[in-house]
Amino acid sequence: MLFLKECKKVIFSLTFWIYCLIVVLDFTSQYYPDCRKAASPPYDGYKLSEDHGRIMEGAVKSLAEGYLANRYICYPLGFYKAVKLNEKERGQIEECLEELTGLSAAEISALDESAEKYGVYDGLHEYTGYTIESIPLSDTLTYERFTELMGKVDDTLGGGSDFKPDDLVFHFSKETLTKEEALKEYADFTDKDRITGALARLFSDYAGITLGILPVFVAAALTAADRKRRMTELVYSRRISSFRLIFTRFAALTVTMFVPVLLTMAAALIQAVRIYGGSNISYAAMFTVPSFWLIPNIMEAAAAGMLLTELISGGAAILVQFVLWFIPLLKDSGMLWGNISRFTLICRHNSLFYREQFITHMGAFVFSRIFYILISLILVLLTVLVYELKRGGRFNGVRLFGESGILRRKA
Amino acid sequence: MSDNIIIKGVNKSYGKKQVLFDIDLTIEKGMFGLLGRNGAGKTTLMKTLAALHKKNSGEITVCGVPIENAAEIRAMTGYLPQEFSMYPSMRTDEVLCYLGTLSGIPSRECKKRVTSLLRRVDLIEHRHKKIKELSGGMKRRLGIAQAILHDPKVLIVDEPTAGLDPEERIRFRNLMCELAEDRIVLLSTHIVGDIEATCEQIAIMDSGKILWRGTVSELLKEAEGHIYTVNVAKRFLPQIKKEYIVTGMLAQNEYITVRIVSDAEPDLPNPVQTAPDLEGAYMYCLRSRGCDVCGGDE
Amino acid sequence: MVFGCLVRAAYSDAKHNYLIHYLLAVAVVLSIPMLFGVNDLDAKAAAQPLELMMPFTGIILMTPVFMPEQDENIRDTVRAKKMSYELVCLMRLLMAAAVMLALTGTFVLFMKYCGSDVSFRHFCGAAVSAAAVGSIGFFTAAVSDNTIVGYMAAVIYYVMNFLLKSRLGMFYVFSMSSGSFSEKKWLLLIAVLLSAAGLIGRRYRTNMM
Repeated sequence: MLFLKECKKVIFSLTFWIYCLIVVLDFTSQYYPDCRKAASPPYDGYKLSEDHGRIMEGAVKSLAEGYLANRYICYPLGFYKAVKLNEKERGQIEECLEELTGLSAAEISALDESAEKYGVYDGLHEYTGYTIESIPLSDTLTYERFTELMGKVDDTLGGGSDFKPDDLVFHFSKETLTKEEALKEYADFTDKDRITGALARLFSDYAGITLGILPVFVAAALTAADRKRRMTELVYSRRISSFRLIFTRFAALTVTMFVPVLLTMAAALIQAVRIYGGSNISYAAMFTVPSFWLIPNIMEAAAAGMLLTELISGGAAILVQFVLWFIPLLKDSGMLWGNISRFTLICRHNSLFYREQFITHMGAFVFSRIFYILISLILVLLTVLVYELKRGGRFNGVRLFGESGILRRKA
Repeated sequence: MSDNIIIKGVNKSYGKKQVLFDIDLTIEKGMFGLLGRNGAGKTTLMKTLAALHKKNSGEITVCGVPIENAAEIRAMTGYLPQEFSMYPSMRTDEVLCYLGTLSGIPSRECKKRVTSLLRRVDLIEHRHKKIKELSGGMKRRLGIAQAILHDPKVLIVDEPTAGLDPEERIRFRNLMCELAEDRIVLLSTHIVGDIEATCEQIAIMDSGKILWRGTVSELLKEAEGHIYTVNVAKRFLPQIKKEYIVTGMLAQNEYITVRIVSDAEPDLPNPVQTAPDLEGAYMYCLRSRGCDVCGGDE
Repeated sequence: MVFGCLVRAAYSDAKHNYLIHYLLAVAVVLSIPMLFGVNDLDAKAAAQPLELMMPFTGIILMTPVFMPEQDENIRDTVRAKKMSYELVCLMRLLMAAAVMLALTGTFVLFMKYCGSDVSFRHFCGAAVSAAAVGSIGFFTAAVSDNTIVGYMAAVIYYVMNFLLKSRLGMFYVFSMSSGSFSEKKWLLLIAVLLSAAGLIGRRYRTNMM
């Protein structure tokens, strides 16, 4: 059977064994130690109150402090960037502040006197930092207008600031959990999630990162093997349809790469049984959620790897998938739970608690998983098309800048 | 259903460079040799017939099936490329099984066929060897085995004897002849000896055109009266090579017997007209059709 | 004579096999100011864009050194030539190193121009980090005879630096961003050793095949 033969090819490839090694290392170094002890109620946890008044107050205060010091801390890609504005840009911020607070320009400048000042030295320059006691909000300010203005502010700052409308809730409505809330989170963990439901989310969070990138290597190596071994023509001239061949290869890649993940799930389940006892936990939850969570990741990376390797080269496939994987990972590094949108490739939920948060994003989560399954199927269909064209001699690879140009990829 | 290949007015170019010009050819059952120099367009024609290249214009039908119907063409042709290799870490029988599966042969049937084929190409004792451990000749034979694995009606082999030692070459030819008994075998080569030993029907290609088409005996007949042997002193050899096409030499002491191709009787002492051999006839054919041939300067 | 030959070979090689990689490396460097702030950074913050991004040029330039000859036919043809195959690879490696140094140097100067507190130390540290990550790819590609495996090893090493941070000890390539320079001498040693081992390993491997 072709499927088994293709699986065998994958299993005997070096990239697959490196893949397995990393999957296991990732499990033993991240998830496993995190879950070694029985979880206790998250007394030091925090929640996002999403209280509009609180958000507006906090954001405007922080903006005014930045304005006075003319120094705003941004994280455009998850990395620290201190932004200093010129007069014109500073004027734009001032206008926003006037509208937000209802104060005049002079009154805003006067905040300087009442604010508490402190020296900041960042290694190069010395700054004066400001802490404002309190700041009024304009009576006519609505939350919608507020987010609009914050969007403007974020644009002026070059993006990645705390004022980015989508992130306002996260930055300005954090509250530590009360004891009751922590106990409720814990009760959710044991009762609603039956423990493994929560463990499965944490497991998927860690495994998802690895599976967002590693399958591309295995797929690229398998796809490039025919060309590298000068076997393309022998394969091209066979009877099998391109559709069947490519889809079988894709299925073989997905299934073989899922097996080691499945084994780590089983290991996680054994660990859970040993810690929490077999009767309190749901056995199925350790498999269902992670499978639904992770298979689309394997599929997407494998499909992208196949298409781009067939179209250009293995290196190109790796580069593209790396960018797709790395940049969102850096950008979201502040919000490790409750932040799944409909197009999130790598879903995060780096906690055993906050079940409610996950449930509220359930629609987006399901959407994103199905979306990426469909995307990968489309990518595989495109691979079939490219393969069929190459096979019939109608496409000889991408050429950039002419016949003997810099990027040639002979089919 | 007819069992021949009909090629009508086929043109093919790679980008701006045209490599096949108005090819017209009918290939019947049996062994058919495509003879031509390197770069004559043989490989391109063969790849086009195996549905691996797209022609720009013209018509091709293989056993009644138009070439555009690639899936059906692939099902009934076996192709051995000029240059190929296989996954180096797979075993000989594994590779054949893999390619058999790609040809849609059920696995039990495939195993049986692989064993009998390996016996036929004399690789049975090497069936557990990895591809990277095989010699060049063994790989060629394995190549032939993969091409006939699905028992194709048409077998296309591109320069199959390049790089084989004389003994292996003979074995290879014999195998080809056996295979040609019940199918079309299209063989391309630039080695005249291969054709001489195996093919009845031949075509000669040069610069993307079919120069000549017929049987071996017709080719020989055409060259009759144009092949001479002369016996000259060795020191004249360079001059003779300059003026004539030399297809063979036999040295005896300070004299040398030279076989030359010439339209008219050569202006040399005691030329003797001899029965043409295929090599001479091939050279004559190329020369008489205006190809730039420089014989002897090897 | 030999030198002239080498220069011509290097030029032809760069044009036919490597131009796309050089351009990609340049693209990586050009993307830094879009992804990171480079104005008025202090010494520690200035190390961050350099250490995070320059290793990509290492991966892009050093890993595919053996790629043009991955096809065994081409390799045998190249190996049969008078100029030793290892010399061709070494030449490519040196070209890669030269481009890497040039890019790092240019970017450090650009940062200085933008008012960041960069020094020669930054240049050395970033270049060494790039070479260390690149040499992992180079070495792995050499011994596995597979460029994709090379990329895989290099990318895994890079990502491990993210996850494990200074727990990697002397293997930590982002150390300058957290104010420590002592790892760099080890990284330099690793880069040199792995490059040499890659060339030697390649020789052994190709002879074996």
